[in-house]
Amino acid sequence: MPEPTLLKPDQKFINRIIKSGGGNIKKCFQCATCSVVCELSPDRRPFPRKEMIWAQWGLQDRLLADPDVWLCHQCNDCSTHCPRGAKPSEVLAALRRESIIHHSVPRFLGKWMNDPRYVPLMLLIPTVLLGLALLLKDPIESVLGFSKQTGERIVFSYSSMFPHWLLISFFLFFSLLVLLAIIAGVMRFWRAMKAADARSGMTGPAKGLRASIIAALKNIITHDKFATCSTERPRFLSHFLVFYGFIALFVVSIWAMTAKYNPLIYSSFAYPFSFWSPWRILANVAGIAVVIGCLLMIIERLNENKKAGAGSYFDWAFIGILLCVVLSGFVTEILHYGRVEPHRHIVYFVHLVFVFALLIYLPYSKFAHMIYRTTAMVYAEYSGRDAEAPTAAAGKKQEGEKEEKNKAEESKE
Amino acid sequence: MSEKKVAVYICKGCDIGKSINVDAIQEAIDEDYDEIEADIWQTHDCLCADEGIELIKKDIGEGANALVVAACSSRFKTTDFLFDGCFTDRVNLREHVVWSHEAGHEDTQMLANDYVAMGIARVGKAEIPEPFSEEINKTILVVGGGHSGMTAALETAKAGYEVVLVEKEDKLGGWRGKFSRVFPTSSPYRELLEPDVNERIEELQGNDKVTIHTSASIEKIAGQPGQFDVTLKTNGSTENFRVGAIIQATGWQPYDANKLGHLGYGKFKNVITNVELEEQFTQGKVTRPSDGKPAKRIAFIQCAGSRDEEHLPYCSAVCCRATLKHSIRIRELDGEAQAFVLYKDIRTPGQFEGFYLRAQEDPGIFFMKGEVEKVEDAGGDNLTVEMTDTLIDEHVKVEADLVVLATGMVPNSADGETIRKYTDSLGIIEKGEEGAQLEMAKTTSEELKSYEGTEILNLDYRQGPDFPVLKYNFPDSHFICFPYETRRTGIYAAGCMRAPNDTDACREDATGAALKAIQCLELAEKGYAVHPRWGDQSWPEFAMQRCTQCKRCTEECPFGTLNEDAKGTPLENPLRCRRCGICLGACPERIVSFKDYAVNIISAMIKAVHVPDEDEEKPRMLGLICENDAYPALDLAGMKRIQHSAFIRFIPVRCLGSVNVVWIADALSKGYDGILLVGCKSGDDYQCHYIRGSELMGTRGENIQEKLKQLALEEERVRVEEISITDGEKLVQIINEFAEQIEEVGMNPFKGF
Repeated sequence: MPEPTLLKPDQKFINRIIKSGGGNIKKCFQCATCSVVCELSPDRRPFPRKEMIWAQWGLQDRLLADPDVWLCHQCNDCSTHCPRGAKPSEVLAALRRESIIHHSVPRFLGKWMNDPRYVPLMLLIPTVLLGLALLLKDPIESVLGFSKQTGERIVFSYSSMFPHWLLISFFLFFSLLVLLAIIAGVMRFWRAMKAADARSGMTGPAKGLRASIIAALKNIITHDKFATCSTERPRFLSHFLVFYGFIALFVVSIWAMTAKYNPLIYSSFAYPFSFWSPWRILANVAGIAVVIGCLLMIIERLNENKKAGAGSYFDWAFIGILLCVVLSGFVTEILHYGRVEPHRHIVYFVHLVFVFALLIYLPYSKFAHMIYRTTAMVYAEYSGRDAEAPTAAAGKKQEGEKEEKNKAEESKE
Repeated sequence: MSEKKVAVYICKGCDIGKSINVDAIQEAIDEDYDEIEADIWQTHDCLCADEGIELIKKDIGEGANALVVAACSSRFKTTDFLFDGCFTDRVNLREHVVWSHEAGHEDTQMLANDYVAMGIARVGKAEIPEPFSEEINKTILVVGGGHSGMTAALETAKAGYEVVLVEKEDKLGGWRGKFSRVFPTSSPYRELLEPDVNERIEELQGNDKVTIHTSASIEKIAGQPGQFDVTLKTNGSTENFRVGAIIQATGWQPYDANKLGHLGYGKFKNVITNVELEEQFTQGKVTRPSDGKPAKRIAFIQCAGSRDEEHLPYCSAVCCRATLKHSIRIRELDGEAQAFVLYKDIRTPGQFEGFYLRAQEDPGIFFMKGEVEKVEDAGGDNLTVEMTDTLIDEHVKVEADLVVLATGMVPNSADGETIRKYTDSLGIIEKGEEGAQLEMAKTTSEELKSYEGTEILNLDYRQGPDFPVLKYNFPDSHFICFPYETRRTGIYAAGCMRAPNDTDACREDATGAALKAIQCLELAEKGYAVHPRWGDQSWPEFAMQRCTQCKRCTEECPFGTLNEDAKGTPLENPLRCRRCGICLGACPERIVSFKDYAVNIISAMIKAVHVPDEDEEKPRMLGLICENDAYPALDLAGMKRIQHSAFIRFIPVRCLGSVNVVWIADALSKGYDGILLVGCKSGDDYQCHYIRGSELMGTRGENIQEKLKQLALEEERVRVEEISITDGEKLVQIINEFAEQIEEVGMNPFKGF
């Protein structure tokens, strides 16, 4: 028999979970209804029951090293069926928040992000940094010998205010910092998961890292896991809209920012985009998608808060900043076409502040779910978490797939 | 009873008239049945209607006093056919004849003829019982001044009866008086309450119907319900008084934790029991016995010795809630403290789920399900408790400053029968017997030495000084059928001594037992029997001049009714009797009889049946069936129109244990081909209304087999079965199988002699 594990309840951790949305955690009496109704839970060591016990016992180390917390997409099937009203989905959400804060580098930023008292400070930081960049624009330009952009076309663009070289170098610099923070966080998380698995006697990886990443990305792209939800079906749509809208906006932004240095750009794809440019159309559609997605999320949270949970400050802050980014972008665009001076430049600045905030707080806000969920999904593939001894149902599924394949081959012939 | 005038009333209602020829019964009996005669014969379309009743009343007016009402089962319209000054026998033509046999068939008609003849035979012999009436004392003695005892005393006093409350400790209150907090008692069952013991004690002290004796013990109780003579010892002085009924509420004691060495008790100072923890609460803080420092991490081990074959195999019902109470209290006293509840199952019945939730919601109370493996030293007087089979599928351990064992309840009961065995063996040794008997007595006295001085009630009963205990030493009765009853009439068990109970259940128990005691007194006053032959006015009479002092009746009576004199002659105590008739069945000399139930009455019924000749190929079987379970079960089968063999004749008996072997001999010599005996379920979880009736029949069966051998008959001719009241279909199956078996065995060679 292996050496028994010492259970040392961390009372502070429990209190934190209770305060940040997991207030019903203690009601769980370990019946495992949650694990049974969960569509995503694997057969072996299913969640969220074990997480509920760990959380009741305040076993912080285990929970923070647990990929399963991140495999949950909070569809709320468990909370709907829980006979005790323990709301496992809320507890897992609280645990994910703890996980982001715990793994973030530096950790104090994570703590700030989870505390409404820091809102002014959190907004002040990007404002000041961007303001500094603007103040230092001219001196640097003259030092580096950049010439001022002139001409009719240029006047209407924002390059006069925020030249591309500055925008790119400013954002690139902070992106690198953010990337470092992400890498550090992911490594912390990955190592913790591995160590926990080693403790519980799990053996070597089930598949290669690349294959794992591909499998996880496929899941994310198709939103497969979201689609299995029954209680919170609308969440699939709202997340889908926000997810793809955001990606489209991100791509367009990169495109625009790198226009000057991008050899691929020519004719109608050239920057600045005309109103009917495919890029601009894509950006506008994507922006609308994000707004609709966010609104749907808000409506769900408000209307269905019994089922879905109203969410905590952490969740609302993320939806808020995302909406601010997109809405300020739209306002800028409208003012731009109306040539409303100088407001459009002011709003543009505000827009940049929000974009910058979204970027620099990525590893510390709920935005980080992107990182940790992906990491956990990759790890689940890598460690074989999901693909344990095939059950009867899985066997059938495989057979079904085989049949389909055969049929396809037949039809080819 | 003046001269008998037998009147037979045959009802034609409920299909009876359609199925059999009612008028032919009288003809058949007149023609074919010797010595079976009735003075009046009447038939009616609906005997239970006013018109039918009037018909009977008119005949009674003209002198009819022995009535045979051949209609439905006696379980229906029971009181409708009871008339003052008359003896009524109910012949069950409906359920046992027409509803369970082919209509218009010659065998069905013969069955009806036989049953009516048996009814006539019975009323010809039976007499109207006269109640045994003597002066009754209506004081109730309550033994034990804990929660149950105090409640029983208060409830009894409130009902207007005098009460004597006896407590062995120097003050009332029992365990509840020693607890600093108790479970919630009303919705939403969440918060702890302060015990209300003092108010109860004051209420008792202020009640002039209640006499309280503390620091007292019972030296002797002699007599019978209504006439119990109590000798009480208080601080060296003795006192004698008479009471009518007794409620024993002697409570419980914690299971001996010294036997729980595997959980560290006795080995580590910081392993204590939940009772020891209660003592700490009265001082307002929880500390470690090893160093007196406050305990911050307290681990509760649930089912410590409970639900464990080697210790207490049962669940004590309250330890879970006690631990919830303790953990909540620990947190109330010290917000920094943590309580770990290590359990197999949490049992919080009914509304107490709210109490469980209350404890669960406390972030400082932790629950872990699993099997506790061991308690070990973790250094610095700390302990670790290891658990396997946990819900997280891991072998885990928790570290604690203090480990509390949630031990179970052991009843404060005394095993009267075993104590008697022990004193008997001492008696043999004292007498100076020799040889094997002495050796046996010596081993018995050695084995049972621990029973010495464990008496509580000190009853002057032949079968032992206390009532017999059942499973796990609880003197529990079959609660559904016999709540609060014990096997001593007039003595009732309540509270944790009867079964592991919480305080709510104790209160209910105590009230129930009080009600039972009052019922007993009121019935005793009239000379009536108590449950289950409630209101029966008959009682056993002993034709003592024929007694051979064989002691069978005194030993077999399940209720310890009979005492013995030095020679072994039975001494009657009619008020202890429950009228089961087991003494009647036991007596080889047939000296015991009831006015309406006696050897000769049943014999007459057996002999009343017309047994066809061998060449008619119509076998006859006798069914002696227990009136409590088997008879209603057969009624039930009839109601469902399930058909059974028409060759069997049933006679209800008070208890299978009341069957005297002579009836079987009578039946065999009369020419019956087989005898079926059906009783209720015996055993520890008995349903037998007289506890031992079915069991006794089993042992008497050996004598019967002997008898069969003497008569050179096949053993298969007699069969004993046990069924429960819901087994109607099974009973029919048994009957039909038995009928087939008898046909295979063949006709009784004594037929026609």
